[in-house]
Amino acid sequence: MLRRSTALGLVTGTFLATTLLVLVTHSTSVVRNDPARNIWIPDDLTLPLRLQVAYNDRQVFFRYRWPAREPHVVTDLRRYSGGKWQRDLRTPIGSEPARPAEDRLTMMVDDGSVPEFQRYGGYITVGANMRDFTGSDASAAHRRKYLPATRRDPSDWYSLVDEATLQSQRRAGYFLDLWHWRAHLSNPLGRADDQNVAWYRLFDSGETPYFSNWDLENQRPRWMFDGKAVPVHAFRTTGAGRSDAGAPTTYFLAESSAAPFDPSLPWREGDVIPGQVLREATDSRAEIRVQGRGRWADGEWDVTLVRELDTGHPLEDKILRDQGVYSVAFSVHRDGRASRWHYVSLPLQVGLGRTADLVANRFEGAAPDWRRAEVREVTLFYPGQVSWPHLTSKRHAGSRYIAKGVPVKYRHKESQLAQYGIEMEFDREIRRQWWLTLVAGVLLIVSFVVSVRMLFGRKER
Amino acid sequence: MGPYHAIMVHFPVALWIVASGIMLYRSCSDADLARALDRVLPVLLAIGVATGVVAYVFGQLVWPPETLQKTPLGRNHMLGATLTLSCWSAVLYLRWRAGEDVWQGRTHRLVMAIVGTLGAVLLAVTGTLGGHLHGAPAYLSELLRLVGFDVYTTFYVPTWVLVVVVAVAIGMPLLAVAATRTRAAIVAR
Repeated sequence: MLRRSTALGLVTGTFLATTLLVLVTHSTSVVRNDPARNIWIPDDLTLPLRLQVAYNDRQVFFRYRWPAREPHVVTDLRRYSGGKWQRDLRTPIGSEPARPAEDRLTMMVDDGSVPEFQRYGGYITVGANMRDFTGSDASAAHRRKYLPATRRDPSDWYSLVDEATLQSQRRAGYFLDLWHWRAHLSNPLGRADDQNVAWYRLFDSGETPYFSNWDLENQRPRWMFDGKAVPVHAFRTTGAGRSDAGAPTTYFLAESSAAPFDPSLPWREGDVIPGQVLREATDSRAEIRVQGRGRWADGEWDVTLVRELDTGHPLEDKILRDQGVYSVAFSVHRDGRASRWHYVSLPLQVGLGRTADLVANRFEGAAPDWRRAEVREVTLFYPGQVSWPHLTSKRHAGSRYIAKGVPVKYRHKESQLAQYGIEMEFDREIRRQWWLTLVAGVLLIVSFVVSVRMLFGRKER
Repeated sequence: MGPYHAIMVHFPVALWIVASGIMLYRSCSDADLARALDRVLPVLLAIGVATGVVAYVFGQLVWPPETLQKTPLGRNHMLGATLTLSCWSAVLYLRWRAGEDVWQGRTHRLVMAIVGTLGAVLLAVTGTLGGHLHGAPAYLSELLRLVGFDVYTTFYVPTWVLVVVVAVAIGMPLLAVAATRTRAAIVAR
């Protein structure tokens, strides 16, 4: 026999228990790695980057420090497997131990000629359906960073404006300087690759700091370690990505220590030769150097890049001046990840002796005393698959603010943007589950109150 | 429609906050003041639900549905508003249909206190999310984060929990019917 008061207690208890269950289990079960859709979510959604900037009469120094559990100092390898040499061109999706990817740091710089960059940072360079986005295939492999005004329709990769307009934009400074430090392809020679972003992600003029080590005709490397400067001809796969970047190891193949590949040597299963040969870059491509050495120690990379304030290449580099304020934005690749699986920052203003988010110290001499320089911790975040065409479309509630020129940091925090980036990757699944949750929630409340109403009895007369 | 939504939400927010206060007070007091306040409760609830419906409709028109439902904040605000409106509509129904019987006995009062608290919490969360959408985030969101709810993450539950919720939603009225029939059978004997 069930008494009303007992039933009321049971109904109320069940309702509360169910509510608790909902609260405990909410926002789970949908987000998970899905390599088939190019989805891989990092464990850490944000990353702290410590930044210091200093300059003298001639040069500017950027010091970057960021945590990395272990250094990843190799990328793009040629492997001897199954009796033949192989190369793997596919980008690793997230972290794939079989496809090592080097640690990298990238900085985009602008002098105000790209006004959207100051407000929205690297988001403006991400077009629709970029490479490695969900749904993109091999035909999208060439879709990399570009600036919106280089297209008649910024959401259409192929609507490039004419060459004369591109050149005029270039002369007007409508490009972003891009400093690209790479643990494998630039750090061993004490360089950072000097690039720029305009209608595409472009290399500055000059000799490239690395070239391909692949003989397409014979399907094997062109070069190997010479066995003298480096006492081997190849290294083994095991431990290849775990070398200390500062130690004299064989993880990189430099032109000076390379010998023509000899197919007659007794190559063994698992032998590995770097897929790129390093050499000294020239001209504008060689403007950025590493001060000292880029080192990983005690779970942290410590890299200082130095460049002339005025490189003499105003169409490829942003010329920096005393008392100037410049916008910068950073990205970091770590944990063996490449392509879009990186951490990015919101834009930051750096003032050379002038008030800004970070004021660079002016110093006398050849090298700055970092103990005297302000340290700015910049929060980097995983950006997911958020494109500029989406942000400026009506589907984005903030598009009206973008149209008004409201900076992204006025409305969003880095941790928030990381969450939004992930939710964009699972938009359809999350929205379906959310709708069902809404309906179920209403049903639960209505059911509870109707039950309680029955158990309360009739209205008092 | 944003400004009109912002104006309109003041009414249900004020009325439901007062209503939840009255419910909590009445659930633990038989004083004349508590009884007097309870007598105006149905009116407060009715006006609150009426203005709440208008505010809800205005809120749906601030952005196109595709925009509102595209962002975690928008989804959470809409979910919160829907549940808040449902909760207070249910309270109105309960108070209206059951009358002052809702205050008879400890169990009844406890249930009313729980429902009033739930409505107030839902209202606070929904208001916080609305503030975020409006560009005026409150520290309450940090409090919510401490209890495991990040306002920037869409609130949804796994499918197996949905099944449990639906089963409970079906089971509770069945339990009530069973208890009611048992009592009817006893009275008939």
